[in-house]
Amino acid sequence: MPTRICTSSRAAIILTLLGLLAPHLGWAQVRHILSGLVRGTDGTALPGATVAVPSLGLGTATDELGRYRLEIPTGSQEVTVSFVGYLPQTFRVNMGRNQQRDLALAPSDNELSEVVVQGQQTLQEKLETTQMGVERLTVREAKLLPALFGEVDILKTLQLKPGVQSGGEGSSGLFVRGGSADQNLVLLDNALVYNPNHLFGLFSVFNSDAVQSVDLYKSGFPAQFGGRLSSVIDVKMREGSREKFTVNGGIGLIASRLSLEGPINNGKGSFLVSGRRTYFDIFTRALNRANASDESWRPIPDYYFHDFNAKANYTLGEKDQVFATAYLGRDVFGFNSFGNLSANFSWGNTLGTLRWQHTFSPQLTANTQVGVTSYRYKLGSAFDIASFGLTSTIRDYNARVDFDYAPHPAHQVRFGGSVTHHTFGVGRLQVETGDNSLNIDDDISYPALEGGLYASDSWKVSDKLQAEVGLRLSGFSSEGRVYGGIEPRAAVRYSLSDNLALKANYALMYQYAHLVSNTGASLPTDIWYPTRLSVKPQRSQQVSTGFSLLLFGGKFLLTDEVYYKWAANQVDFRDGAQIFANPNLDQEFLFGRGWSYGNELYLEKKEGKTTGWIGYTLAWAWRRFPPQRGTDGINDGRDYYPSYDRRHNLNVVVLHQLNTRLSLTSSFVYTSGAPATLPAGRFPLQNVPGGDLLAVPVYPDRNTYRLIPYHRLDLGVVWKLRPVRFGTERDLTFSVYNAYDRRNAYFVYFEVSRDQTTDVINGFTAQQVSLFPIIPSVTYNFKF
Amino acid sequence: MKAKQLVAAIGLGSLLLAAAGCNLEKEVDVVLPAYTPELVVECYLQAGQVPRLTVVESGAYLPTRVDTGQPTITLPTATTPTLGLGLPNGITIQLPVDVTARLTLPSGQVVPLRFAPGIDPVTRKVFTHIGTTPLAMQPGQRFALDVRDTRGHNVTGTASVPTFIPIDTVRYGFNGLSGGDRRANVVTRWTDPAATANFYYLLLNNSREPNDDAGDYLLNDQLFNGQTYTALTTFRFMPGDTMTATLFHMEPQYYNFLQSVEGAVRANGNPFAQPARIRSTVQGGLGVFTVLVSDRRTVILE
Repeated sequence: MPTRICTSSRAAIILTLLGLLAPHLGWAQVRHILSGLVRGTDGTALPGATVAVPSLGLGTATDELGRYRLEIPTGSQEVTVSFVGYLPQTFRVNMGRNQQRDLALAPSDNELSEVVVQGQQTLQEKLETTQMGVERLTVREAKLLPALFGEVDILKTLQLKPGVQSGGEGSSGLFVRGGSADQNLVLLDNALVYNPNHLFGLFSVFNSDAVQSVDLYKSGFPAQFGGRLSSVIDVKMREGSREKFTVNGGIGLIASRLSLEGPINNGKGSFLVSGRRTYFDIFTRALNRANASDESWRPIPDYYFHDFNAKANYTLGEKDQVFATAYLGRDVFGFNSFGNLSANFSWGNTLGTLRWQHTFSPQLTANTQVGVTSYRYKLGSAFDIASFGLTSTIRDYNARVDFDYAPHPAHQVRFGGSVTHHTFGVGRLQVETGDNSLNIDDDISYPALEGGLYASDSWKVSDKLQAEVGLRLSGFSSEGRVYGGIEPRAAVRYSLSDNLALKANYALMYQYAHLVSNTGASLPTDIWYPTRLSVKPQRSQQVSTGFSLLLFGGKFLLTDEVYYKWAANQVDFRDGAQIFANPNLDQEFLFGRGWSYGNELYLEKKEGKTTGWIGYTLAWAWRRFPPQRGTDGINDGRDYYPSYDRRHNLNVVVLHQLNTRLSLTSSFVYTSGAPATLPAGRFPLQNVPGGDLLAVPVYPDRNTYRLIPYHRLDLGVVWKLRPVRFGTERDLTFSVYNAYDRRNAYFVYFEVSRDQTTDVINGFTAQQVSLFPIIPSVTYNFKF
Repeated sequence: MKAKQLVAAIGLGSLLLAAAGCNLEKEVDVVLPAYTPELVVECYLQAGQVPRLTVVESGAYLPTRVDTGQPTITLPTATTPTLGLGLPNGITIQLPVDVTARLTLPSGQVVPLRFAPGIDPVTRKVFTHIGTTPLAMQPGQRFALDVRDTRGHNVTGTASVPTFIPIDTVRYGFNGLSGGDRRANVVTRWTDPAATANFYYLLLNNSREPNDDAGDYLLNDQLFNGQTYTALTTFRFMPGDTMTATLFHMEPQYYNFLQSVEGAVRANGNPFAQPARIRSTVQGGLGVFTVLVSDRRTVILE
């Protein structure tokens, strides 16, 4: 069957078509469009800035490119534009026709602007948006919160939002509403990032100095996004200043950062370059050197990671602007001190994009982008006369075009398409010996083509009812076969009053690239594998509904969402699978289904001296892999919890600005214990003559044991120092991770216990391993 | 590097910062899932050898030390073989005494294996049941095993005779150093038949410790189908050592069993591993019933 087109939800399709074809329905009042771009005076686009007409109760936020569009009734109106850290601007506009007005906001004179606690997206805007399950976070917010080793991590901050689980202690991995980590579409300036983690997930690849903002979509996915089942993490890089040359950076406990930015050609463009590197390896080398004479000393491997970000933009004319983005990140492990054995292990992402933005008219703009992205890990080892290398890569060449079209004040249409050429280098094994007695070079690689076309309409049906409907047609071609599906998306909002809105949405998603892992964690050695005849596309559907309620005069927003998600063609390995350099890797796969459901309660305060949120999630996640292809499946086909299932999850985040120089922050996390698989029985295996006797553990069903509940309190202080000269900024950020030194369980293993006098084995004891005790840290940040 | 060491390395920064003596590991009480003991069989048939069978019972991973009331024999500790993975003497193997076993020969003849527990003086392997006459076999022939106790357990299995794959050569080389640093490696070569999928278990033994392996390799021929394969060791053997390489050509079921055993054993202490369930070659219990066909070469490292 070469072609497989799946259809579902005719109602959603009809809604979409209705939305696209009926732009002139139901809009009695004469309105005109005010549109434009909001930048800082340094030329930096400001996504999330508020553009409002207070007298009419109208308002909107700029999009990820700093663009805004507001429908305003005919007449003279006063418009205000505001953005955190910048002076608000007010102007009067006579709306007798559509108009375009670009604005440049000046930074606030308050030197502590960075620590003013105010969210970019106001609670009123969150109430009024159609989309549910969306979290927008700025680096300014993330920088306030206490962080592990003082390393600001925007992905870890997202873990504090309801419906998002971490993979474990200190991990940057995101598990959204029962989806696995590979089901997140992680984008950096619209380029796919295959592995967003450093150091097995302890840190994300996003350098906080180079990032402007991140949007997390847990449901109600806009139609322009596709290719992953569970979430979209849309990271936007910061643009450099068009006004002056600036240096900023930070010196932390484990890493330092440095960024340079400045204007190009008298402010027609700007650039930003930013780098970060850890220095674990300096400490470990010193330790190894100090213990070099100790024969019992086991040398600690060298490890470091680094990131390099670059972005440039240039205004070609009134209607044209180009942007270039680049990222290079690597993790490097290496050791060569174990006798005659040396090994090195490196992995990382590389990406680059070039985007051209063209404004045809105030109603129509287009963004055309080409890019390349790749992820690779390389494991090499050499001992005596032999060398061994294992490499896995995935490389994409991508082109996409996106149009924004406003045919009518009640409609905002988006449409476009993308095409990606993938090369899945599933594994290359190279083994050589100096005497040529052994020479293996096995390379398993699959090319594939992925494409998508989409259209969506944000339709303001009435003052109370707003809908966003869309369709995405996705396809994937590999080995002469084509797979595809229609992905309807729909979201509606109905305002019961000025303070209360009901929302609901539905989305169907396809995923054609599968990250196959035989571990409970997400590791750099996990392998991306394409959809082929033997591996069907993953598919998920999600429905969610809830309400948003403004409380206490709009100071608080209470949101409650319930969701149900079901997914088909989920991929896992059979127990004991051989995953490295296996030319028949797909024979090791098992296929099953997953489903999850839950309720997310979220109370948020975004303005004032004290801000923060409380999020509580009650959720279930399930998997079922029935017996298949001569195997017992997983658990003989019985349902089980994946390792990231958590029943309860409570997050409390409080940020308090004591004065203009000092801010106190704290976050508290409580989650139910993680599922784990521990042995229930054991037996002795004597083995063949000459073989060793083994005590073999017998494992019951997967993930039947629960580790102890996880909870942790982090505390932080941001202390803004007096500038050494005008125009400079300095601060010290203190963090205490795990403030009450809780020993959370990272994993449990069993150790042989012996009689102390006879050394005879008398049983086994369970040992619980924790990863991090209390960790104080301090980071010095500067800007000049 | 073991996973625990890796985790320790990851936590290095925290250890440097945290108070001295900060312990990140502690003993805890865990309540493991209830476990129902099963019969565990180990039976390796070999041409020209009297068949032997070992039947034991699996037990709870953390035993409650409460007598189960089942009839058992405790072999003397002093004669119990050494556990692998560096564990010393001291394991007492509980042997059920109510087990009967029957072996079906390729001819269809059923041979009872009598209960006569003991320890092989050469291999130091425990056995519980033994046949009466040496076995004759040809490649492709099939044996069957039926084991049952008085408590309703019934373990069955079948095993085919693999073809013989000879070792081409076993060579060694020294590292060029002298004195106490002089070490040798061992290189074993054989040629894989192209027509079939083949599975191998290569065992190296040093005459100084003949019942402990000095290296073992579980392989399939996916990467060298039809070619000559070379198995290497590091330079770790002493001058004068007598090394024996034994190459077993095995059924896929036995390969899968050993692979699952490896996956189960290695999962303990590795937070990144997905523990493997045991893929026994027998039904109704745990363990392995197989036919061993092997070639063996011995070299003296001089």
